[in-house]
Amino acid sequence: MPVKVHWGSPGHWAIRLVWLAATIAVVVYIPTRTQPGTINDMTTALELAAVAMALNLVMGYGGLISLGHSAYFGLGAYTMAVLVDHYGWTQGWTLYIAAVFGFVVGCLTSLPALRLKGVYLALTSIALAVLFPQLVKWQKLEWLTDGARGIDDLQYDEIPVWPILGELDGRRGRAVWMYWLAVIVAVLSYLVCRGIVKSRVGRSLVAIRDNETAAAVMGVNRARTQTIVYGLSAAMTAVAGALFGIGLNGVNPDLRYFTLIGSITFVVIMVIGGGATLWGPIVGAFLYVLVESRTRKWGADSSGVVGALFGWLNSSPATLILAVVFIVLMFVAPFGIVGLLKRLAAKVIVIVPNPAGTRSNVPPVEEGLDPSIDEPFLSASPEETP
Amino acid sequence: MTSRSTRVLAVAGASVLAFSVAGLGHAGAGSEEGWTVDTEDCSDPDRANAPIEGTIRIGSSMPLSGGAAAAAFEPAARGLEAYIAYANDNDLVPGYELELTIGDDQYDPALTPGVVNGLIDDGVDVFAGIIGTQNNLAVRDTLNEECIPQLNVLAGDPRFGEVEEYPWTTGLLTSYEYEYGAYAQDIAANFPDSTVGLFYVNSEFGNISIDNFKAAAEEAGLEIVAEETVELGDEAPPQAQVSSLAEEAPEVLVTVPLGAGCISFLNELANAKAANEWEPVVYMTNTCAGSALILGAAGENADGVYTSAAMGLVDVSNPEVAATEPVAGYIAEMEAQGLGDIITTGGAGWNAGEVTVAVLLDALESPDGLTQASIINAARNLDFRPTLLREGMNYSMNGEEDAFYSQDVQVGQYNVADGFYTDIGEIISFESTPAE
Repeated sequence: MPVKVHWGSPGHWAIRLVWLAATIAVVVYIPTRTQPGTINDMTTALELAAVAMALNLVMGYGGLISLGHSAYFGLGAYTMAVLVDHYGWTQGWTLYIAAVFGFVVGCLTSLPALRLKGVYLALTSIALAVLFPQLVKWQKLEWLTDGARGIDDLQYDEIPVWPILGELDGRRGRAVWMYWLAVIVAVLSYLVCRGIVKSRVGRSLVAIRDNETAAAVMGVNRARTQTIVYGLSAAMTAVAGALFGIGLNGVNPDLRYFTLIGSITFVVIMVIGGGATLWGPIVGAFLYVLVESRTRKWGADSSGVVGALFGWLNSSPATLILAVVFIVLMFVAPFGIVGLLKRLAAKVIVIVPNPAGTRSNVPPVEEGLDPSIDEPFLSASPEETP
Repeated sequence: MTSRSTRVLAVAGASVLAFSVAGLGHAGAGSEEGWTVDTEDCSDPDRANAPIEGTIRIGSSMPLSGGAAAAAFEPAARGLEAYIAYANDNDLVPGYELELTIGDDQYDPALTPGVVNGLIDDGVDVFAGIIGTQNNLAVRDTLNEECIPQLNVLAGDPRFGEVEEYPWTTGLLTSYEYEYGAYAQDIAANFPDSTVGLFYVNSEFGNISIDNFKAAAEEAGLEIVAEETVELGDEAPPQAQVSSLAEEAPEVLVTVPLGAGCISFLNELANAKAANEWEPVVYMTNTCAGSALILGAAGENADGVYTSAAMGLVDVSNPEVAATEPVAGYIAEMEAQGLGDIITTGGAGWNAGEVTVAVLLDALESPDGLTQASIINAARNLDFRPTLLREGMNYSMNGEEDAFYSQDVQVGQYNVADGFYTDIGEIISFESTPAE
């Protein structure tokens, strides 16, 4: 029999505070207690989390299938690279321009979404993913993009000094600096997503997804809602891409995250974490990077358990292991990791929502699903189910 | 009987190899003179000058899984492992155990920093044989900032010879500047007044290769009349591109495909030749055409392809070469390790391992003993002849004056009936400071 905790009660607030404290502890633990390699991996996870959150807005909450987010990711990275390399900008300032570019391009490329649905929309978004690397390599744009050669040497020459972080230098200092930038971007992305989902725009988006005609009858402006959300999603993705380019110290049109493979990776991350949940993309990104970084290190190692299981392969088992893990996950957790955790947590504790229109701890008329959307794993709102 | 013969051959080969590695190749690189690295700018100068004891941890990042390029390069990893195992078995670095860890970056530069950072955290002392231009560039700043030697880069971009800016990075592949310079010279000498068509993979590798060819072609007075590209990762046969080339019908084709694309290009070219009565002479990057195993997969369609010996290595698919020492010893050792199927494609990795061990030996013999600083000093002053290097060539580097080991190019032509290459002309040397 699970423990019942009322929404807004001291117990509920205690759970929230414990969750917040645990999150902050993990975020602080990584740059202070782990190796630079781990910090870099976690930075990548945060960048991918930001992209997956952005994609989640469009796909999870909006129901619009997008396989073109790699283009926004690449656009952000190239905006940063061109400004830093050709025009001598400081890396940090380019993130704002990447966001603006991402928003404008996102709004423009959302136009097909106003006419198309489902697989047809997916196909047009694939075209965007395929087009981006070709556009970068286009001879007439080489003066700007340096074509297939890419643009190198994009990292901070001198790591900026922030009093709270102290003076940072060397590999560790660079890793810590990029990590905190990624934390800021990921937190902002989370807040933007949370704000949208809880706002009128977010509820309109879900309404359009669930029943477009009913939403229109209720006065929802579909074109405006989808265009704004698409634009914001592209802007968030572009900022993450710009950050990724700085960390990698170079951009190149053939980088996997700038191609269709990247788009598919973003979708995978969102789905394994849990679509239409705020924490799903974050969990998915960390799980993806964790599995991917472990398997790539095993590489040519043919000893131990890896050797016994995959010794028959002539090549590294990295890709195979990654694929198997995700296939198993989809069987075990069809609604993503967050969906699975919610189900498990419901066996221990249940947050009982307040009746509509009340703000106090009045016992609910009917126990059901929690209307909140910011509780990580302990409840499931109708809005969070795919 | 077979296994006994193999063991006997392996022992014989090992003896010859050990002799060649430990004794024959060196020429006073351990002396105090010559170029020395400045460790003042290192993030941790003490670590760069601290003695390495007991175990030398060697790291690398290579494509071990993934697409067609990974499949083509993966044997290099096994060749590198084979040499390190061989060096340990024969105690080639006395008093030290070599520990090699290769991470899988799937030929994706976005993954290489993750692999390399993880290996640095694990305490790797030196990196060797990282494959790919972008992959190496992605970690070059980090390794130079940390003062960890990035030895024997398996990419031919001339940027891996920037000694002043990146002293801790040394290249092993023949620079594309020399490889394509040699092709341009060969075309001008043997096919004067021919028109040239270009076909290349539209990646950084392909573009830098072709840029170097264009520069050399201009110098040699060659006329380029057609240019076609194929995208990296596009595994469809390049039918449209080859048809476009056929329309222009250049007399010579200079081609830079990659991985499985090498074979599909040759197959498409054969179709176009048959349909258009067009017989171009084909020069192909040694990254794929340097291996008889890869060209062999294209069968008759690879007959007559011109290429060059990658890193100046011998053609182990030539029975005459394979029967002579020390190449026979190499083949015996590879077979003894169960790698008889990759003696051609694994040679690059074996060679990278052998040069790495030679550098370690020189560093060990230096007055400072074995440190990360002495390793890069030894690498930049090396004068060495590896087992698989051709006669008349030598690997020598001399600080900033001479930043590349391999500056000699031997053009060869593949003969499908024999299954190996025939040398064409003399060695073309770009060596700025010939070995003494």
